[in-house]
Amino acid sequence: MESIANDYTINIATANGTGSQSANLILLQAFFEMGVPVSGKNLFPSNISGLPTWYIMRLSDHGYQAPGDRTHIQVLVNPATWAEDLAALEPGSVVIWNENAKMEMNRDDVISYPVPMSALARKINPKIAKLVTNIVYVGVLAQMLGIDQTALESAVAKQFKGKDSAIELNITALGLGRDYFKDNFTKDDPYVVEPREIETPKFFIDGNEAAALGCIFGGVQMLAWYPITPSSSLAEGIINYIPQLRVDDEGNATCAVIQAEDELAAAGMVLGAGWAGGRGMTATSGPGISLMQEFIGLAYFAEIPSVFWDVNRVGPSTGLPTRTQQSDITMLYEGSHGDTQHIVLIPGTVEECFEFGWRAFDITERFQTPVFGLSDLDLGMNRWACEGFTYPDQDMDRGKIVRDKDVFEAFEEFGRYLDVDGDGIPYRTLPGSGMDPILYRGTGHNPKGVYSEKPEDYFNLMARLKSKIDGARDLLPAPILREETECEVGIIYLGSMENTIQEIDDMLEATGLKVSQCRVRALPLHSEVEEFIRRHETTIVLEINRDGQLYGILRKELPNDLITKVHSVAYSDGMPPRARIYSDRILSTLKEVNQ
Amino acid sequence: MSDAPARPARTVKLNVINEPKDSYTGGKSSLCPGCGHDQISNVIIAAAWENGIEPHRIAKMSGIGCSSKTPAYYLGQSHGFNTVHGRMPSVTTGAYAVNKDLLYLGVSGDGDSASIGIGQLIHAIRRNMDMVYIVENNGVYGLTKGQYSATADVGSKKKKGKINTTQPIDLAALAINLGCTFVARSFSGSKKQLTSLLKAAMSHKGFALIDVISPCVTFNNNDESMRSYGYVKENEITLHMTDYIPHFNPVEEVEVPEGHFRDIELHDGSTIRLETISDEHDPSNAVAALTALHGAETDQKHVTGLLYFDNTKPALAEDLGLVDTPLINVPADSLRPSKAILDQLNAALLG
Repeated sequence: MESIANDYTINIATANGTGSQSANLILLQAFFEMGVPVSGKNLFPSNISGLPTWYIMRLSDHGYQAPGDRTHIQVLVNPATWAEDLAALEPGSVVIWNENAKMEMNRDDVISYPVPMSALARKINPKIAKLVTNIVYVGVLAQMLGIDQTALESAVAKQFKGKDSAIELNITALGLGRDYFKDNFTKDDPYVVEPREIETPKFFIDGNEAAALGCIFGGVQMLAWYPITPSSSLAEGIINYIPQLRVDDEGNATCAVIQAEDELAAAGMVLGAGWAGGRGMTATSGPGISLMQEFIGLAYFAEIPSVFWDVNRVGPSTGLPTRTQQSDITMLYEGSHGDTQHIVLIPGTVEECFEFGWRAFDITERFQTPVFGLSDLDLGMNRWACEGFTYPDQDMDRGKIVRDKDVFEAFEEFGRYLDVDGDGIPYRTLPGSGMDPILYRGTGHNPKGVYSEKPEDYFNLMARLKSKIDGARDLLPAPILREETECEVGIIYLGSMENTIQEIDDMLEATGLKVSQCRVRALPLHSEVEEFIRRHETTIVLEINRDGQLYGILRKELPNDLITKVHSVAYSDGMPPRARIYSDRILSTLKEVNQ
Repeated sequence: MSDAPARPARTVKLNVINEPKDSYTGGKSSLCPGCGHDQISNVIIAAAWENGIEPHRIAKMSGIGCSSKTPAYYLGQSHGFNTVHGRMPSVTTGAYAVNKDLLYLGVSGDGDSASIGIGQLIHAIRRNMDMVYIVENNGVYGLTKGQYSATADVGSKKKKGKINTTQPIDLAALAINLGCTFVARSFSGSKKQLTSLLKAAMSHKGFALIDVISPCVTFNNNDESMRSYGYVKENEITLHMTDYIPHFNPVEEVEVPEGHFRDIELHDGSTIRLETISDEHDPSNAVAALTALHGAETDQKHVTGLLYFDNTKPALAEDLGLVDTPLINVPADSLRPSKAILDQLNAALLG
């Protein structure tokens, strides 16, 4: 049998709250330490204990990070999904299953490795047998695939930093799994793992922690938050790093953290901090943004710097709280009642989560308008390989704040909302300064900030706000372009689709197409996006949602002659994107277009 | 130009920091003539001036409603924020987190505080947010033309409509139950009492709630209303006479009252003196305060004075564990860790 190295998908079916997450992360880390390109996706339920959870690991020398089209190796521990998981397998798949689960193995067209996982685990410690069961299957897999023991032990040490007894126990359990496979089976399957040379050392980190660090380096001064999946770990990341990175010698912090009573209050606190001259932020998900809409409109209209991170989950309503989607695009871009338009930063990698984490504060203070970071559950909560974070390449930009009396007095005329420089961005003074004290308001106001219902005041204000945001377009992160010389098909996509795009691209090019890519990284759209569309015969806008929200924005903003060149491929079922689904849909859309 | 004799130059009275009262006034009110809220605005001006607070060190905060419009009518040299309905406490909390050195003066109404914003009010009290919070409480929604609010008294009848039978929310009782550290009730028509209570609230570190009955002359000032000028004057029970002695004016120099009195020292060294009228009220006794409120409600009366006071609880700033400098004045190099630190962090993550 010809062996298959580093090109397969492992699916591990367990129950939530049984400790499988740490076992799975040890396995992932062990592959990673062997230099094997690997990605892991945790499909977990909205539940603390007992409901089904799957961990999908993709090994790919091509660097593909999507879950792939099929499972090659299935680990069955959870009786609840046993039959379903088993039925879904293609003939020839490997099944490692818990013999003690009292479940049936009714497939004779698969390669079956029954292992008494629970019994082996009980041997070590009957009290924690459930937890140990998980590490046993890691041992079995290690033996079956040929995972290096050094890599495995290093992964265990990383997972249980400094907890010697846990490390010892896990290494013993791994040994039992390994030995059981060695003693009872002859390898019957083609799957192996081969070490690869590590050219650049990397570490695993999730997008939320990366964004949290970015915010810390962006000088965040106030975090107000309300817990919500999948954004809580972003806020908690900031909280965890403050004692290390943002305290003075006595341990006093330079960033306030307030757990708010709800998302409305969190948003209010962000505005309060921005109004007072501080860098305030919150982290939430779609339902939280829904609740914050009123304040978002106030921040836009009264021009208050404020940063909101949205880690997108599946909507509408409570939706699928632990699944991923790109469906908050429109809500962020045009948030709140009335005519509005907001700046949205859309990272596609953990490095960009960090970068946009600090950049968001500079942008919000520069433009005196709310700035959103749009991440999603896939990027935010799964771990991705990272070479390291790059230090900000510019000093903090605090925007047009007048702090000195001399500067203030040099103004010929001062008005909080007076467009002195012609860029739509006015100057502001801070509470406590005594300079130009005004009553900020969400009601109509004139350039001096005084209440006004005059038609020209309202019209001019709205026109200035529009020009201000419009002026931000080319100062925001530019799209990432990967272009073919033949400008046949262009794909515009965003965010975490970055992790699947290369596989989609390869699938499309396998049919003979020449495909260019344009990853949008900010709204309002950079002018390069329009140029990309103009250069290509046909453009597909690829998104993880139902309605094609980014496509809708393009339709609204593109010149008429380009609109017919742009087509939408939008699909979402809650799962992280699988390349085949999107490439098939792109192909059928192109077929329709060319008819 | 004129044959009239030159008028002698009027000496302008200055406060302890040499500011004239004009430094504390605001724009012209657009509320209905006679509105209780305008009387409260005048008390705010007087209290801030007499307490010698630098106008620019005050932040005027409000929500939405008649009361929340008033920050335009006082303290024209102070920055302010007229936020959204019922959400002034959160905005104030965020501002306070980055600049704890301002005096946050919140003005709200009964719709803003007892209905849409009751959650934020409760949580600001729970955090002992360091601010003065005035509720201009008239029992009706004025700006939307006279609907009952959640504080309307049972048995009261506004100008148009039926007698209210829905149980009111007593914000003072609510605050006491939540452990609010300064709870007072007053009446917009009781200028002396309200002024001393407000000055004391400004000297307090922690959440100071003053629930002020402030009649709505347009929709709720008829004889059948329990929040009309006439009714409140007839049915007010004053717990004690209140007098405020500022920290810059030593207590020893103040005339000692003849009867029994109780001095309460405030955080900035000022004193509020409570002179007993008939039965002594002990403001450190929450049960006594609640009993007084309950009794007054049963008798369809309004009890006023300093209901409850507690100076033992830490204000929010202490819980936040921040550096002494207000965060907005912390230099950039303390906000952004150095490149060396990021390099170390990257190395540590690489393991």
